[in-house]
Amino acid sequence: MDNTIVKLRGYKDGLHLIINPKVSLKEVETAIHELLSEMNQSLSGTSIQIDMMTTPLTSDDLKELETHLTKSYDLVVSGVNVLDEKDESPILAAPTTHSISEELSLDTPMHVENAQVVRQTIRSGQTTSCLTGSVILYGDVNPGGEVIASGDIVVLGALRGSAHAGANGRLSSVIIAMDLVPLQLQIGTYVNRPPLGQKPRGYPEIARVGAEDIIIVEEFIKF
Amino acid sequence: MGKVIVITSGKGGVGKTTSTANLGTALAMLDKTVVIVDADVGLRNLDVVMGLESRVVYTSMDVIEKRCELSKALVKDRRVENLMLLAASQRNRKDDIRPEQMQDICEKLKEDYDFVLIDSPAGIEQGFHNAAAGADEAIIVTTPDLSAIRDADRIIGLLQNEGIEPINLVINRLSATLVRKGNMISKNDVLDILNIDLLGVIPEDTGVIASTNRGVPLVHTERSPGAEAYMRIARRMTGQRVPIPDMREDSFLDQIANWFSKKK
Repeated sequence: MDNTIVKLRGYKDGLHLIINPKVSLKEVETAIHELLSEMNQSLSGTSIQIDMMTTPLTSDDLKELETHLTKSYDLVVSGVNVLDEKDESPILAAPTTHSISEELSLDTPMHVENAQVVRQTIRSGQTTSCLTGSVILYGDVNPGGEVIASGDIVVLGALRGSAHAGANGRLSSVIIAMDLVPLQLQIGTYVNRPPLGQKPRGYPEIARVGAEDIIIVEEFIKF
Repeated sequence: MGKVIVITSGKGGVGKTTSTANLGTALAMLDKTVVIVDADVGLRNLDVVMGLESRVVYTSMDVIEKRCELSKALVKDRRVENLMLLAASQRNRKDDIRPEQMQDICEKLKEDYDFVLIDSPAGIEQGFHNAAAGADEAIIVTTPDLSAIRDADRIIGLLQNEGIEPINLVINRLSATLVRKGNMISKNDVLDILNIDLLGVIPEDTGVIASTNRGVPLVHTERSPGAEAYMRIARRMTGQRVPIPDMREDSFLDQIANWFSKKK
């Protein structure tokens, strides 16, 4: 019962429909019908991405396929990824080539990101926040000051106050400072604070969420 | 046309009133015309520290409510020429004055005097805003401890928002012995955090307590380290170049190490 024309795979960012290139639209549609009728679960309402190699299907064909998927199976096509033939696994390559939907769901990694540049020391009681991207700060964050970003936080000075990166829940966010001696660090929902009486170490450091779901701090050398 | 300088700190008890009294007196001793204004409505102290308590008849509130002329409300100092005090009302509260009214008084005073020093109340509420309203410049007074530095940092942020510039720093009650032992934050560490220009450092001086109780500012006392420090700051405020002396915060060994590293 191996379906050679279309395959359905679940990945981190959702369901992918992988289409074998060298067939016509009609064959693809029958193959999809076969595949989906075999399933004992309805996929209706599910968001799906289409992955394919460099393809004989024209963009008109693609549109037709999309409407077909939506009408017959109630699927929502969230993206089409056309991949180079050389790529062994289509999924290992970042699926960024061509996206139909402009809407980013929370699960999809952010492709375009803002950065807010702040040229000022954040003093006690002051807050700088950027909920659409990262913050780059030319100055210090003093005790009682606060920096919040949905992306990363880079402090080109001493971070002595509080910093909250990944404020929308992105756990891959990092906090980098030339002198990292904060009152408190927060990445996503994880909170950590340095041991009492910590002295600046004199080299830049990076804080990120480590393997055991705790915020770890280490010397910053490169990304 | 003189300038209006607000003397503030955020935290209470760090020496705002003492600094206002001493700097005002010192500037007057340097032949400048000076008015010191108590902005701490309801908790006035500056008249006590100056020893002018019994001479206060009218206050800034009386001027605002047009019960007397501004010039009539100014109290002449007992010892120095050219030094005037504008006292705060003790019966009213800080919310009874609006920033525009303080600004109005400051504008009038700086037409006739070289320096108008405003003694700000502690805190960041209405009283502070009134005190800062008419100011051209600010002097932040802090002691070398973390809570005072934190509050000073907050105040600097607020002053910058109001567009007051320059903001200079006076570090009060620094004890070189304690710094050497590692029990007090050093001058350089304070500057590192606050990151503003240093106007001067006042060493810890027990003479301040006696001078406050007698109602005679410390600068009248000769050979007091505190008085000398205040005189140096006053000279800097008049534009003279007076170096900040080394407080010997480093231990003897550190000094030798510094000396060698400078040679290199």
